Amino acid sequence: MSHPLDAIFRPKSVAVIGASNAPEKYGYIILKNILDAGFPGAVYPVNPKATEILGRPCTRSIAELPTGVDLAVIIIPAKAVPQAVADCGQRGIRAAIIISGGFAESGEEGAALQREVVESARRYGVRVVGPNCQGVNNPHHGLCASWPLLTLKGDIAVISQSGTVGAALMDWASQEQLGCSSFVSMGNRSDVDETDLIDYLAQDSHTRAIAAYLEGVKDLARFREAAARCKKPIVILKSGRTVEGRRAAESHTRSLAGRDELYTALFRQLGIHRADTLEDLYDATKALAYLPRPRGRRVVTITSSGGSGILATDWAEWSGLTIAPLPGPVADSLRGILPPHCIVANPLDLTGDANAVLYRQVADATAPHFDYQIIIFGDPILQASDVVTPGSPQLVVFLGGAEVERHERLRMHQKKVPVFPTPERGLRALARLYAFDGVAA
Amino acid sequence: MTASSPAAPGRWLPEPEAFRLLAGYELPVIPHRLAASPDEAAAAAQELGFPVVLKIVSPDIIHKSDVGGVALNVPTPGDARTAFTRIRESAARHMPKAVVEGVVVARMAAPGTEVILGMLRDPQFGPAVMAGLGGVFVELYQDVVFRLPPLTPPEARAMLMELKAAPLLTGYRGQPPRDLDALARCASVVARIAAEHPEIQEMDLNPVLAYERGCVIVDAKILAR
Repeated sequence: MSHPLDAIFRPKSVAVIGASNAPEKYGYIILKNILDAGFPGAVYPVNPKATEILGRPCTRSIAELPTGVDLAVIIIPAKAVPQAVADCGQRGIRAAIIISGGFAESGEEGAALQREVVESARRYGVRVVGPNCQGVNNPHHGLCASWPLLTLKGDIAVISQSGTVGAALMDWASQEQLGCSSFVSMGNRSDVDETDLIDYLAQDSHTRAIAAYLEGVKDLARFREAAARCKKPIVILKSGRTVEGRRAAESHTRSLAGRDELYTALFRQLGIHRADTLEDLYDATKALAYLPRPRGRRVVTITSSGGSGILATDWAEWSGLTIAPLPGPVADSLRGILPPHCIVANPLDLTGDANAVLYRQVADATAPHFDYQIIIFGDPILQASDVVTPGSPQLVVFLGGAEVERHERLRMHQKKVPVFPTPERGLRALARLYAFDGVAA
Repeated sequence: MTASSPAAPGRWLPEPEAFRLLAGYELPVIPHRLAASPDEAAAAAQELGFPVVLKIVSPDIIHKSDVGGVALNVPTPGDARTAFTRIRESAARHMPKAVVEGVVVARMAAPGTEVILGMLRDPQFGPAVMAGLGGVFVELYQDVVFRLPPLTPPEARAMLMELKAAPLLTGYRGQPPRDLDALARCASVVARIAAEHPEIQEMDLNPVLAYERGCVIVDAKILAR
């Protein structure tokens, strides 16, 4: 496997240009995160004024680095960056992540500096992420050239024009024990952009779905080609939809935010899911990464909470799913299992008497007759994670379960079964699976 | 938002020229003649069949009804003569400097479901095709859908079905369904025109009247560079 961006995602060794001993500086934080994430290769702090940083001997200049370093993380004042990129190129370093700000986002002078960076990078064959970015994190390679320190490996890739928005997604995924396959903060996108990253992630064996936050697509023609080639689901939260929002986008990362209707058309035609909110972006990508594709639209809801079952039914219907009645023989056999006060219908309300064993029996009995099961745990159901089967067509919602819920959700996530916090969020995420598949109603 | 905003620099084709371009792509344009005098208007009306509509033709007049440049439901040759004179006079009064090329006489189309098809060229995206349903659906609810060419007829059909008001096309409250295939073919041809005529900046076919069988383009605005 070889890709032009391998040096960014899977470097053999890393130099931190502008590494620092001051704990509040990014030159310290990033070096520490690279070390703490357990990066497997050599790590070289570069700083002319220090001899040792975080227990590592410090190199005085880029020119004095040993040969074979393939990634530089640059955290120095903007005006020194063009020269640093040139030095990196001359030392044989093939990729640079430029954290420093003070470029195109800050006015004409910064824009001129950014052009110098791009010229240096082109001349010496260096691929550049940033400038003005929050770095790159690839947990599958032990590379956290970013912040905060997050190391949990997962299947979702996050690419973002905003460092914070992207980091928030990765943080949620980590906190939920799902993890991420990688995180790239693109910053000003002077070189590497969403198209390059989609091209990379399309062939990255750890990535199953891509979540992107964009303020605008940089190069539409290339984007259309790369997105059409990518066989993995892509979900995009595109901001700058209103007139005011667009103005903010233009001054934020100087992106070309196009007309919102045209983005809708573009994404629709490329089979890209468009998210409306950050939560929607997270939920949709989570569903697309971890849930199997549906065979059809017939769903059954199994719940211990009547209210949650009705909420799920509303959203299922709004999403074009079919709440089909239980086949007679299945209903008859369930009557033999369920307490007499349960109403044997769809949704199937197991009531507060429900436990994991009952859930499992009902799930097994109904599975052959429906395309998807919506399993809602609406109480502290002990061992709920034993009910679900990884890779099977089951949408799991867990709410109202307090400590048991939190414990069981993590267990399910460790089994790669995604759990959603409300019927609405779960059903909206499930509906994503039907968006471009043409599954018959 | 309609496909004609915001305005790009260029010239609006006189309607007969716009109709000719569309007809060259075998699009269903309303039968029409250009008349230069009251007598020609009466003769054209006779030939087309009554009732007819008369519209002023001038590259300087985009909103024809605002200057009294349109006469609808004209029932006889005598009325066509009168309407011709009235339109010319009214336009001259409102816009004395406008260059007037004549008056278009067109057959009055049978009532149908009003559809808007449009095209615009965006500096970043290039050409985009728009579809919407006429009247309040576009103006009040901004119920429009865009696609980026190329656009096959099946894709155009799916595009029309994405409109919130699509039930009006598929048979609402006992109304017969409208000819979606004919509309889809029009939208797909609009995309083709966008690709083959880079000088065309914007296009508004408004309304296109949709029937149980077929559709007809009643009014066409084309902005060329």
